[in-house]
Amino acid sequence: MSLYRKKGPLIVFLLPAFVFLVLFLYYPFIQNILNSFSDITGLGSPSKGLNDPWWANYATLFTDPKLRTAMVNTVILTVCTVVFQVGIALVLALLVDSIKVGAQLFRTLYFFPIVISATALGLMFNLIFLYNGGMVNQLLQALGIISENVDWKDSGHFRFTMLAPVMWQYVGFYFVILVTGLNNIPADLYEAAALDGCTGLKRVRHITLPLLRNVLCTCLVLAITGALKVFDLPWVMFGAGMPQDQGWLTGTYMYDQTFNRGNVDYGSTIAILIVVLGVVLSNVANRVFKPRNDI
Amino acid sequence: MRKKITPTKVCTYVVLTFWALTTLYPFVWVILNSFREKGLIRKDSFSIPLPGSGLTTDNYAKAMERFDFANAYLNSLIVSIAVTIAVVIIAGLAAYGLVRFKFKLRGACYSLIMAGMMFPVFSTIIPVFRMEAAWGIASSGNRWLSLLAVILPQIAGNLCFAIIVLMGFIESVPIELEESAYVDGCNVFQVYFHIIIPAAKSSFATVAIFSFLWSYNDLFTQNFFLRVPREKTITLLLNEISSQAGVDYGLMASSVVLIVVPVLIVYVLLQKHIVKGLTAGAVKG
Amino acid sequence: MKKNRLLAIALSAALLLGLLAGCGSKSNDNPNSGNGGNQGGSSVELNVVTSYGGDDGNRKQYEAAVKSYEEATGNKVLDASASSNEEWKAKVLTDFETGTEPDVLFFFTNADAEPFIQAGKVVDVATVRAEYPDYGSNMRDSMLAVASDGKNYAIPSSGFWENMFVNTKVLSDCGISVPGPDYTWDQFLKDCQAIKDKGYTPIACSLFEVPHYWFEFCVMNNGTLANQLDIPASADDAAGQKWCAALNDIKDLYEKGFFPANTLTATDAETVQIFGDGEAAFLIDGSWKVTHFVDNYPENLENFAISYVPAKGERKASEAIGGISMGYFITKKAWDDPAKREAAVKFVEHMTSDEVMSTFVTTEVTALKNGASPAGLNPLQQAAAKANAEITGVVGAVQDTISSEAKTDLFANVQNVVTGAMSPEDAVNSAIALN
Repeated sequence: MSLYRKKGPLIVFLLPAFVFLVLFLYYPFIQNILNSFSDITGLGSPSKGLNDPWWANYATLFTDPKLRTAMVNTVILTVCTVVFQVGIALVLALLVDSIKVGAQLFRTLYFFPIVISATALGLMFNLIFLYNGGMVNQLLQALGIISENVDWKDSGHFRFTMLAPVMWQYVGFYFVILVTGLNNIPADLYEAAALDGCTGLKRVRHITLPLLRNVLCTCLVLAITGALKVFDLPWVMFGAGMPQDQGWLTGTYMYDQTFNRGNVDYGSTIAILIVVLGVVLSNVANRVFKPRNDI
Repeated sequence: MRKKITPTKVCTYVVLTFWALTTLYPFVWVILNSFREKGLIRKDSFSIPLPGSGLTTDNYAKAMERFDFANAYLNSLIVSIAVTIAVVIIAGLAAYGLVRFKFKLRGACYSLIMAGMMFPVFSTIIPVFRMEAAWGIASSGNRWLSLLAVILPQIAGNLCFAIIVLMGFIESVPIELEESAYVDGCNVFQVYFHIIIPAAKSSFATVAIFSFLWSYNDLFTQNFFLRVPREKTITLLLNEISSQAGVDYGLMASSVVLIVVPVLIVYVLLQKHIVKGLTAGAVKG
Repeated sequence: MKKNRLLAIALSAALLLGLLAGCGSKSNDNPNSGNGGNQGGSSVELNVVTSYGGDDGNRKQYEAAVKSYEEATGNKVLDASASSNEEWKAKVLTDFETGTEPDVLFFFTNADAEPFIQAGKVVDVATVRAEYPDYGSNMRDSMLAVASDGKNYAIPSSGFWENMFVNTKVLSDCGISVPGPDYTWDQFLKDCQAIKDKGYTPIACSLFEVPHYWFEFCVMNNGTLANQLDIPASADDAAGQKWCAALNDIKDLYEKGFFPANTLTATDAETVQIFGDGEAAFLIDGSWKVTHFVDNYPENLENFAISYVPAKGERKASEAIGGISMGYFITKKAWDDPAKREAAVKFVEHMTSDEVMSTFVTTEVTALKNGASPAGLNPLQQAAAKANAEITGVVGAVQDTISSEAKTDLFANVQNVVTGAMSPEDAVNSAIALN
């Protein structure tokens, strides 16, 4: 349409954003790409030249058993994120949208977990899942379900203990985005639909969901990219790969390699893997779920 | 006409209340235990601490005694508010440009932004630090420059997310409005400020909330750039307290409460704003 | 309308708070802004980085010493201390690279310091002494760390020892007396079994976070004081065999169930707590833990004692780990700044004076010629002093002589060795490959 035919103003719209992105994201990340081919042994130290062969780190990606663990865990996390976080958030958003009394209260409450920093949440969940006198163990013992303390971070339980807090925390995030999307749907559309006898679940399927599709797609992309770099909560709770190198995620593994192992070049390589996977997966998600193929 | 209480409605409320309890309870648990005497948390964390049976304000006194909280809150607010304002302005412009203009590099720009969202901050922080040190703003010893050194990368870090989310929302603004405004003689900028911003007001508020929260709660970047006591933000102070606390769970609990209260205030205030923006939008739409 | 007003009130309140705090900090800044001109004799702002921040046991003593320096000289210390970890070390090294290093640095004196020593970013002790002959003169020169170029750069501060803490209440409940300097490994295994049968945890240790304490002593148990610091070239040589045997000893303890049930998932803080709360009997830890018990268990300090790590082979139980691993550096930047040179030297002299050092050193190793004269030792420190008096030999930690990558790798694999997921040989080889 004619309003957007002249491209001149585009500079004003895009320039500020890209100046920031180039300086603080792309330029450092190009450094990061160079690092992945170099030999760097300390965070602060300069490169000792190229790796021999220069793609050595990329070869390691395929043979590193810990990275394989990290990938498997991250895939599980991603699937759970999409199914549970976005799923629960969608159900809750639709339910809240359908009521009048108390909607505001629920909106506020659901947001609580997001408000608290992941570090603080990590401390809190550590208290909850503490082996010796944590909330869950206290509760289960009081109810007589268990007699001995359960180690919630051992091989048998760590997946639950790691995933549950992450799921729980981010439901509120997608909830807020979806509720905002629902609110952007003009009320007269619903009124018109009601005149045609389209209410309840029918209305959800034929009006709400199609109109929410863009926002849902955004959520999906955010969920995938978010899952690939989840870091704070698992790191505070599990640290380096607890239990026995079974608990790695791509985010925690990359951090550990870079900051604890001083293996900066390999850490950079994992970072590139994360970015590539994220871009590919979110493009796939966009292709599959976006009807208006305009990007 | 009186409203009927239908089974659907009851179910709705049961489900909603259940989830509300899961989000509320841990927080209540933390507040309760922040007032509990040391050592009692691991034995009995469920009861309500009463005077004479474990109630104490020691945990707060301990947290307050060593640190300059007013100054730390001030630093945090400066950083987070600056980041929020910059992100909303810059991301809004970029999202609008990317959604409405059709140009050759559009797909490439979108992919770049998507990739930007994936960059782990751990892999970009050292080059950024070197760059800012060369500019003379990082580690300069000047409080305001140090805060600026945190603000700039935080803006960049939140931009990609904000652009993606705002694009999603701006796409769903009916384009007919803009067309008619154009017919009335508005230029692109007038359309942006008079049509898009009011129509997507609540989305802007959402992005503002998240930018504020992430900036406020971000530990890693702040920890890297802010080192001298007078530069420290509230997140850093409480991180320090909790690392000193070891297994002093009461002190940890009170730290969590102290860090969360200001954010809750900001959120509740902004949320009222969202609702207002909504009704205004609905009237216009 | 009402909501608008509420928002306005809140914002203005925030603004007011900001202004107040801003004024407060401004008036603080004023005296310093005067020294931008650097008139000689006026107060100097000194940038200092140490590892005495965060949860460091000596933080209080450090802060008091800084304060007394500020009061004595009128200078101001801009303190950016943190607690020591790999991220902190990286930050310090990055600062040297970008030219934003502090004026005075308290840092490790081993290989960690080589990057900035080789880059000529710190001044050596001899250069300082040419102008300030008394610099570090209260220290035994033989105990100053020697860099790769043969020069001394750092003035040593307080050292450390590592030894075995015991919970006497648990021991007496199990009918076991506090072990003496002739404690043997076999007796230790018997005691552990007895303690376990009583329902207590014998050894408080997180093999996930801090396996290095047991590793050091187990290496010693399979060798001698003299060859403690030998580094293997592979798992097959003598030193390598020694390390494998040490790992096997830890595995043995793990398999017998002498560590806490959650030793592979617990934090150090958690396991120290079960020791402190009287649920575990033995804990190998360092001199810095004394302050921890004094602060957290003031009313039952008499339940803790410092004893000896059980010995095997040629080692005697009275031989322990100890040394000095950190010291104060003056950077070239501060030395070349005429306004800061004197202030920096005076700061280091103050922090390493007999008087100040005596507040840091209670029972630790020290390089002071006159020794430290700590005042008013608490019962636990007295116990430590008594145990130290019986110590017949001290050697540095072998983990300080290998690269931090090798160290991290080795200790991260201890959990895999004890569970049988990895052989000790593989663990040693994997670590040595990174050294």
